[in-house]
Amino acid sequence: MLQIDHLTTADAKVSLDDVSFLFEAGKIYTILGRTGAGKTELLRALMGLNPLTHGSIKLDEKDITEEPIRARNMSLVYQQFINYPHLSVLDNVAFPLRRQGKDKAQAQALASTMLATVGLGEFLQRRPAQLSGGQQQRVALARAMVKQSRILMLDEPLANLDYKLREQLREEFPRLVADNDESIILYTTTEPREAMELGNTMIVMHNGSIIASGAPAELFANPSTKDTASVISDPPISFIPGFVRNRELYFNEGHQAPSEGLLLPEDGPVTIALRPDAIEPDGAFNAKIGLSEFSGSQTIIHLDFDFGRAIMMVEGIETFAAGDDISVSIQSEHIMLFAPDGRNITLRNNQHG
Amino acid sequence: MLSSKHFFLLPALLTLVAIILFPLIFTVRVSFSSWDVFQSGLDFIGGSNYVRVFEDERFWQSLKRLSLLSIISVSLQYTLGFALALAVWKQVRGGRSLRVLFLIPMMTTPVVMSVIWRTVFHESLGPVNDILSAFGVAPVLWLSSATGAFISVLIVEVWQWTPFMFLLLLAGLVSLPKEPYLAAAIDGAGTWRTFWQVTFPLMAPISIGALIIRLIEASKIMDTVYVLTSGGPGTATETSSYYIYIRGLRDFQIGYSAALSLVYLVIMIISLTIIAKLLLRTLVGKDE
Amino acid sequence: MNKFYHTLKTIFLLGWSIFVVFPFLWALSTSFKDANAITSGATYIPWVDFEPSTQGWTSLFTTGSQGINIVGPFIDSAVVTLIASLVSLILGTLAAYGLSRFEYRLGFVKNSDITFFFISQRIMPPIVLAIPFFLMLKELGALDTIFGLVLVYIALLLPIAVWVMTDFFSGIPKELDEMAMTDGCSPIGAFFRVVLPNSVPGLVVAGMFCLIFGWNDFFFAFTLTFTETQLLPVSIVSLNSSVTPWWSLSAFALISVAPLACVAVIVERYMSRGTMTGAIR
Repeated sequence: MLQIDHLTTADAKVSLDDVSFLFEAGKIYTILGRTGAGKTELLRALMGLNPLTHGSIKLDEKDITEEPIRARNMSLVYQQFINYPHLSVLDNVAFPLRRQGKDKAQAQALASTMLATVGLGEFLQRRPAQLSGGQQQRVALARAMVKQSRILMLDEPLANLDYKLREQLREEFPRLVADNDESIILYTTTEPREAMELGNTMIVMHNGSIIASGAPAELFANPSTKDTASVISDPPISFIPGFVRNRELYFNEGHQAPSEGLLLPEDGPVTIALRPDAIEPDGAFNAKIGLSEFSGSQTIIHLDFDFGRAIMMVEGIETFAAGDDISVSIQSEHIMLFAPDGRNITLRNNQHG
Repeated sequence: MLSSKHFFLLPALLTLVAIILFPLIFTVRVSFSSWDVFQSGLDFIGGSNYVRVFEDERFWQSLKRLSLLSIISVSLQYTLGFALALAVWKQVRGGRSLRVLFLIPMMTTPVVMSVIWRTVFHESLGPVNDILSAFGVAPVLWLSSATGAFISVLIVEVWQWTPFMFLLLLAGLVSLPKEPYLAAAIDGAGTWRTFWQVTFPLMAPISIGALIIRLIEASKIMDTVYVLTSGGPGTATETSSYYIYIRGLRDFQIGYSAALSLVYLVIMIISLTIIAKLLLRTLVGKDE
Repeated sequence: MNKFYHTLKTIFLLGWSIFVVFPFLWALSTSFKDANAITSGATYIPWVDFEPSTQGWTSLFTTGSQGINIVGPFIDSAVVTLIASLVSLILGTLAAYGLSRFEYRLGFVKNSDITFFFISQRIMPPIVLAIPFFLMLKELGALDTIFGLVLVYIALLLPIAVWVMTDFFSGIPKELDEMAMTDGCSPIGAFFRVVLPNSVPGLVVAGMFCLIFGWNDFFFAFTLTFTETQLLPVSIVSLNSSVTPWWSLSAFALISVAPLACVAVIVERYMSRGTMTGAIR
């Protein structure tokens, strides 16, 4: 297992802010966060590439904070396809094995087996520059895995690939890391969907710290803070500054918000969060249509209400003209409430007990 | 304390410091002495050498000459080099041979070529005056008149170093992005306009780098002058390096030439830094 | 409009080509002349304007009082240039890599200052160092030796190597080094196993510039050597100042510049590939 305590760095751009966590063997952790949240910095700090100003890293009880990079028993797959340009694909993957002391024949044998696993068995003698992006990334992955290090880290490995390729590799990924009881796998991404699909445990990062962690579904259903909710949502969640008065929920002075099933807090300001599926066509609220875009097989419509902006999602591909008026209903079961300090204070009537 | 990063830098740094530093310090020390052919040894005469430098008319004349020569020659090299680079840029037929040919002068030894040029510019037996006379032009005093000598040196310098500009500028042209040219073509820009609006601005960084490098090297000119004109006739082509050489290695006024050298060095560093900054400012100005 | 530019271009290229080739052709023709061919005025084409002779060429390879030895100086030049270039390239490449990957600090001196220190050595006019070098080599007993000259040339060529390679290394992503280290290399190992094999274009360019500036130096060889060690440029200048016939001088000159003319072919190849842009900035 990997124990990190109070990791802090002092980079000019993004720094880690007192990060602590316990990673268990055999698990896949997806690290979700926006660009600049600190995901890459965390991986690099673990690897020893970024210096720590504070904190410790212990692998299996052994303190490796001061260890040189080559002694840390970790692998890293970069977002940009990094392979050794001057070596063949086979030698690329054999490289770490040779550094471990294995002789050429042995290293190449292990390398070609691994390359077959990732589907590149026919490309052993090519140079990386002759391969496509997806293939290059597989070479990088094969090289990272062939070492069988305790910790396998992947930093947004699919981000530079096109859509179709991303989907394809995303599906393959679980199979590729299937026989993994010993290692700890860390996978960073900016896409909530990817994070939720690929990992047993999801970690959410924001502004250099870990703001949430746990089972993906649970985090999605009950994000503990506004920031967490914001990072996790795709399409984005809409926040409307409203208030509670006389035990009623309001968007603003003129518009009351639906609140069946919600246990409202004391009078005062609240942030009302609307998930895209909270809004349905036909209802009591009037809005102007802003932008509409397609995502997969759904249509996402940006709406302008009197009290703020929100995003609606409908199944199927439908055209909506910008500037048109539309009336929608808002379902309270998809509304969340957050206190001014960001805490999730949504309580539902059916949650007693 | 010593880690691998020191392994990389220290050998070179220590070597350079060892070889350069002591001579430099020695020069400074000597400049405060009156070491010459009559008395060798390090006495101390204060700054009187430096006073002499500031009153040395011949030295300042040589600086003026050097500036004139450098600026004219580098400007010519830049213009011609750029024109050549543009002409050869897209050339497919014979382009390779042309590029190799145009590179050759800068690979040659300046002194060696000057020996040849001396025979070329020979006023009675050389080909230049011979060919000119075929056009009815009277023999030009290439090496025995002040203007002629200046121009001969200029010609040799341009012959020798235009390839350098050519090389750098062509390398720059080859790596220019294609998009601005497509845009210009769509806008219907002609050859001349495309050059001034697209090519020249895009080449600004490389132009400046090339100009600075060439100016630095040109300011040290010595070999050509030594062989071609020996600084003459009289002092017509006497550059600062050549004058300091005369004082130091011919007249053996070691102390004085040391002072001359240092004053010269300081002037060079200051003016080259100023020129570099000025050129860079024009670049930044263009970006806005 | 295009036709006009095209003709202009052709005339320009033709004119410049003639200008470039002229001194070589003249030297070539002159190297086959004898006294008759010169004293009556300029002559050009062998057999047409004058009777060719091989005096110029044969005199180069004869030693002794009648001959002008070119083999000795040629070898000396080659040895000095090659050794100094090699050492400068090695030391300079290491230093450039260090400067591009690590952070150095000595008081208030940081990386960019150190790089500037290296590169600013090129501003130093040779004359400033000539006499001090003379005295320094005298102390070391290295005047008029290959060793002494190599020492001085290293100081001249090292900045060039650093200049070219610093820029080249800035174009190689640091992630490559990092990947090598995660794969088990030490920082030094990463350099030798991964970065260096990918640096061949830069090394070639740096090496060639070192060879060019080394082979073509005149001034330091002139001040620091006399009889034991003679480099080509010094030889030809002393020939020039004594009564040496034009034909021998021309032949000597042509052989001197021939080696580097061949280098031009290599330089052109790298230039067309666009690898030289890095070396400029």
